[in-house]
Amino acid sequence: MGLLSDPSISTQSKLVDGLARHVRKVCTVLYVAGVAWFFCLALPEFNHGTYLSENALSPGLVYPEIRVDANRLAIQLLEELQRERKDHLSTTPHAWIAAKMNEFGLETHTHNYTLRYPFGGGKEYHGKNIYGILRAPRIASTEGIVFTAPYRAASSVHTDISPSVPLLLAFADFARRKNYWAKDLIFLVTEQEQLGMQAWLEAYHDGDRDLDVSKAYLRPGNLPARAGSLQAALNIEVQDLEIDYVDVRIEGLNGKLPNLDMFNLVQRIMAREGIASGYKQTPRKKRRHSKSLFETNLRQMLAMLATQSSGVPNGNHGLFHRYRIDALTIAAHRRATHATLKGQPGSAAVPLLKAIEGIARSLNNLLERFHQSFFFYVIVNNDRYISIGDYMPALVALVACAFVKAYLMWSTLPSTEAGGELDTEERDADTDVEAEKFELPYGSVLIYLTATLLIGFLCNVLPLQQYFLEIPMGAAPLTTSVLSFLSLIGFILPFVVVLPPGGLELLHVAFLLIYGCSLIVIGLLNFALGFFVAVLTVPLVIALETKEDTSRSTLRHAIRLLALILNPMMIVYVIVLAMTFYQFPELPLQKILLRAATAAMDASAYGLIDSVLYGNFLYFVISTVLLPLWIICWTLALSKRRDYADYVEFEESPASSPQPQSPSQAKVKTS
Amino acid sequence: MGQPGCPTAGPRPRPCGIALFLLALIPLTVASSAKSPLGRDDERFDEELVVRPLSGDHVNTYFQFTTRWHFGHKDNLYHTQLTPRVIAELLQQFDVKELHIGLTQGLWRYETWGYPIVEATSGAEMWAWFSGDNNLTDSEVNSQWSQLANVFSGVLCASLNFVDKTNSISPRHLLRPQFMPAANRKNFVRYSALPREIVCTENLTPWKKLLPCGSASGFASLLNSGHVHNTKYHSLGLKVRTLCEDNSEDNCIVELTQTANLVYDLRLFEQSSSSSSNGDFSLRRLFGMGLNGYCELAESSKMYVQRNEQGERYQLVPPPSPENEEVRSTRGGHTAIYGVYDMHEQFKDHGERLFNVAWLAPKSENRRRNMVKPTPPPLTVHRYLLGHGQERGRIATEITNSHYDALPILVQEVIPWYVHGYLHTLSVRKKPQRVNEYGRQRIPFKLLHYKPGKQRELPSHLEIGFLLPGQTSALITIDVDYLLLKWLEYPPDANHGHYIGSALVSSQLPMGRNYTALPVEGYLFRDSFNATRPSYVLSLHTEALIVSLPTPDFSMPYNVICLACTVVALAFGPIHSVATKMIIVGKPTTTTPKNFIKKLLNKVFRRGGQPAAEGAGKGAGTGAGDGEESREGAAGDAPPGESELPGTGHLDDQPLLEDLEEND
Repeated sequence: MGLLSDPSISTQSKLVDGLARHVRKVCTVLYVAGVAWFFCLALPEFNHGTYLSENALSPGLVYPEIRVDANRLAIQLLEELQRERKDHLSTTPHAWIAAKMNEFGLETHTHNYTLRYPFGGGKEYHGKNIYGILRAPRIASTEGIVFTAPYRAASSVHTDISPSVPLLLAFADFARRKNYWAKDLIFLVTEQEQLGMQAWLEAYHDGDRDLDVSKAYLRPGNLPARAGSLQAALNIEVQDLEIDYVDVRIEGLNGKLPNLDMFNLVQRIMAREGIASGYKQTPRKKRRHSKSLFETNLRQMLAMLATQSSGVPNGNHGLFHRYRIDALTIAAHRRATHATLKGQPGSAAVPLLKAIEGIARSLNNLLERFHQSFFFYVIVNNDRYISIGDYMPALVALVACAFVKAYLMWSTLPSTEAGGELDTEERDADTDVEAEKFELPYGSVLIYLTATLLIGFLCNVLPLQQYFLEIPMGAAPLTTSVLSFLSLIGFILPFVVVLPPGGLELLHVAFLLIYGCSLIVIGLLNFALGFFVAVLTVPLVIALETKEDTSRSTLRHAIRLLALILNPMMIVYVIVLAMTFYQFPELPLQKILLRAATAAMDASAYGLIDSVLYGNFLYFVISTVLLPLWIICWTLALSKRRDYADYVEFEESPASSPQPQSPSQAKVKTS
Repeated sequence: MGQPGCPTAGPRPRPCGIALFLLALIPLTVASSAKSPLGRDDERFDEELVVRPLSGDHVNTYFQFTTRWHFGHKDNLYHTQLTPRVIAELLQQFDVKELHIGLTQGLWRYETWGYPIVEATSGAEMWAWFSGDNNLTDSEVNSQWSQLANVFSGVLCASLNFVDKTNSISPRHLLRPQFMPAANRKNFVRYSALPREIVCTENLTPWKKLLPCGSASGFASLLNSGHVHNTKYHSLGLKVRTLCEDNSEDNCIVELTQTANLVYDLRLFEQSSSSSSNGDFSLRRLFGMGLNGYCELAESSKMYVQRNEQGERYQLVPPPSPENEEVRSTRGGHTAIYGVYDMHEQFKDHGERLFNVAWLAPKSENRRRNMVKPTPPPLTVHRYLLGHGQERGRIATEITNSHYDALPILVQEVIPWYVHGYLHTLSVRKKPQRVNEYGRQRIPFKLLHYKPGKQRELPSHLEIGFLLPGQTSALITIDVDYLLLKWLEYPPDANHGHYIGSALVSSQLPMGRNYTALPVEGYLFRDSFNATRPSYVLSLHTEALIVSLPTPDFSMPYNVICLACTVVALAFGPIHSVATKMIIVGKPTTTTPKNFIKKLLNKVFRRGGQPAAEGAGKGAGTGAGDGEESREGAAGDAPPGESELPGTGHLDDQPLLEDLEEND
């Protein structure tokens, strides 16, 4: 069939030529369209109301049975725990928790894990999780649901959430006396924030792994008992038994989300129990009519994407998603004033307990794993969402710029002017030899690309080398110095290595293709990250030009400046700076700059540790994907060309500041 | 009566070779039991109930109904009395000697409950021994096996009809016969488990109908489905075996044992923590009603109540009769004390009353006292699935030996065909019991039998034997791949996951702690009293597993994809045919092509540089267009209508073809 390889469809059509002249305009239109589409999504016409897709959940079908005595038990347990906390200032009262679980008739086990901290000489930390399994009467331990409560020691810097444990135990005591459970319930109390959770999950799913003591950072050990395949998990973080509102947290590791059905389920049941609950719920605000619906929606969307983009889960639930266990956190916040207290203080937590019971019973009804509804969505409002099909076009439009530009660049490459087949260079070589003016320097471009990727790879690997780890240096300075050193190499690279003629154009095409592909991949895995990177960098990509006949040197300088600013490390610094400024507006500018610098260094170290311990890919993306892309981008922005004048200049000042070549020099063509 | 057969001559030396250790168990002792005090044509029925309080506020009640019939010759099987007719017909139709069926809901927790009297895995389980003369072949056994499964599918209203070759195996070492295999006969065994089976009332009712008294009177009247299914564990069992004396087929006993094993959770009776009782219970509490009498057809009708261990703290109301207050059974160095209620005694005088026994715990008792963890039994097993994702995983079976001495272990795994196991990844690692992680220390196999599975036909069957040192855990792992099934092979609720049946673990205990199973030559529960043996064969079941195979999204997009793929596949045929078939162009007779394909060809030829009128002949044998033509094209390269053409004068048309090929 000649349809696909019809030679009459030429890249040299008039249309392409015409478009090539207006490539910037086309790309700008695409960019604007993408961003505009994204903003439009905040309009109610563009998003949808949530609904429950999985019929088995049937929230609120059963009448809650948990009574005020469970609340009484929770209060009593909380008092006991507060006494225990006085003796365990920086540790978890394991014995007390285990004793209570035993008393309530749960099959209680402890889980020990070890963390070997890679930096600063390699200290070892030991942790211990307690969990009790309620063996369900209606199943042979093939499926389970997890209820977790993180325990924070009294000396922790974070908000005190110790009432979560009594609440969990009170619910466990209630659940133990019911015979309708069709999934084993695991009640888990973790310590050391997300580390304990991660260790427990790894032990659950990879407990047999024979880890090398010298290499593994987190040794999770094995669990003494399991409860089959885990179907769902609910993380409970309660600040007080008297609650004001519940914040439902869903963002997980690498921006993964639980099934939308699970979020809807929690929302429905909370609403039934009359608890103010929602996604990114804040204390009841004074009604301000100045904010339009569009603005609140957009804020909500941006807040969600901002949380997702870092890839760091905002609760222990986030670590479950990797194992395909749908999980979310209900974070109940303390009531600030007692003015609005309706009921008796002795029954304050009953609505929350009822809600937990309702969620548990709905999850218990699940016949299949969560598979309906959406896994990729953006919450616009508590009851409105945007599905993946609606938000992806925004990213696709942005990335399309790169591909359109790549195609047009390719069709106007110098060697293709004679109309040779592009992808079949060799085969065409013997048919129309006379077409070739000069060979495109594929080899050198490939080597250059490899070199940049190698720099990115080293960023990922070098800080964890044993040689570096033995340096008595903190994690933050070590990581930052390695990163800055490698960025500096990338910065200097275009001054040292100058590509042969045609190389820059080829490199440009390659850059656009790699850029487009990596953005799409990042966007598929973590839409927020991909979208933000695209919004930031696409303007530069559109503006970038390697043609030497552009005489507008101001634009050229502007592009170089922009390229310099968009260095990943610079962006991290700017983001941290903005956050510091937002948090400490009272500090003088100099102090803020300094504090932001240390914070940025810490951030890079945390990124590295997160990637090693939890599998967060943000550090990997920045160092191994974005940094090489930046180096190429910087090369293109400089547009160093190999000609005699350059060589002379090169000899004189090899490491000089990125002075642009004068237009006259640039006009000298090599061939 | 009811004396267990005398033990074999002296204690045998304990076999050290692992392959031998179970072979040595072929129960020669059964021979002696055949000479039980049953006369010819003698038939008797016994009912027994055992109540054992377990730790953690649980109570185990075990019903056993035993029918034993010395039928003598096969022809006598036509006249059944106590034995259900279906069992008698079974022996006539099939060469089955021993049959076990278990229908279970829940999982027996070895750590806290000790060992059960009869073992069962969750779901349905079935195994049978066939024995016949030399004419009995393997394939005949297979067909008998599936027929047998179908029979009991109807009898018990269970899904046993799903037992077929895709989930049946022939265990090599692990299952030992409990009948007397004759020397000159061939023996076959088949095993199958259906872990997905859900056991409910519909199984209990037909099971009760097999009893001589039905559910009208006797212990069976206690088995009300409303209460039986509120338990944490309930298991219905059916065991049939034939014992023939002196290897002759004319002097045989058929023994039908029906068991119901229930575990009640006393905490489920409590309403809330404030009204918590201290663990009192009674027959009425457990079964919803008292006992209305004994089965009139039963030879004996006795209730055994364990008085030591967890039962020690209870006071019985009414107490057992003084002579039966404390029956001691010492077995393998382990003593159990039972109180015995003889129902014939209790219902001696007629009266409209219900018999009830209450277990009263001391009032002052603190709840925390019975929270003391019981000493775990010597051998416990667990199984779990490791790894995540829908592509591959690892099946891990963990066996813990808390005995001080080494124990021989045999493990049987049945891996269904939709999961590919890799034998080279099979490993048995060990760790001391107290250590958390498994290191690299391995245990060598003493025995390994592996029969690889076949997609959609046979399950993988694996049997491993090794010696597990004392105070040590062993972890058996095997890597598996999950198969992507064909779209019609997914069951309803495809995202629920697929089941992998439990593993069977067998061992030989040197002592009788926690061991309550009946001796192989005994047939009543009281036969296990004082039944000290050199060793005790233990058989345990692990948990079943759920794997989530890669499951397509069975929603509209998936169906659309399926339809689109079908359309593409349909379109592919003709297009492929156009592209690859040899084209012989015939003489042009008409200039206007008739159908679409020919028009297309016409176009192609024109672009090849030839005049259109020449190029497209009528019936050019492209085999491209409609089915008729393609068939013709397949039969011969030229259509029959023009078969005379290639030979004659059409060679000048050939260049057209070359042009076509160049275009491609």
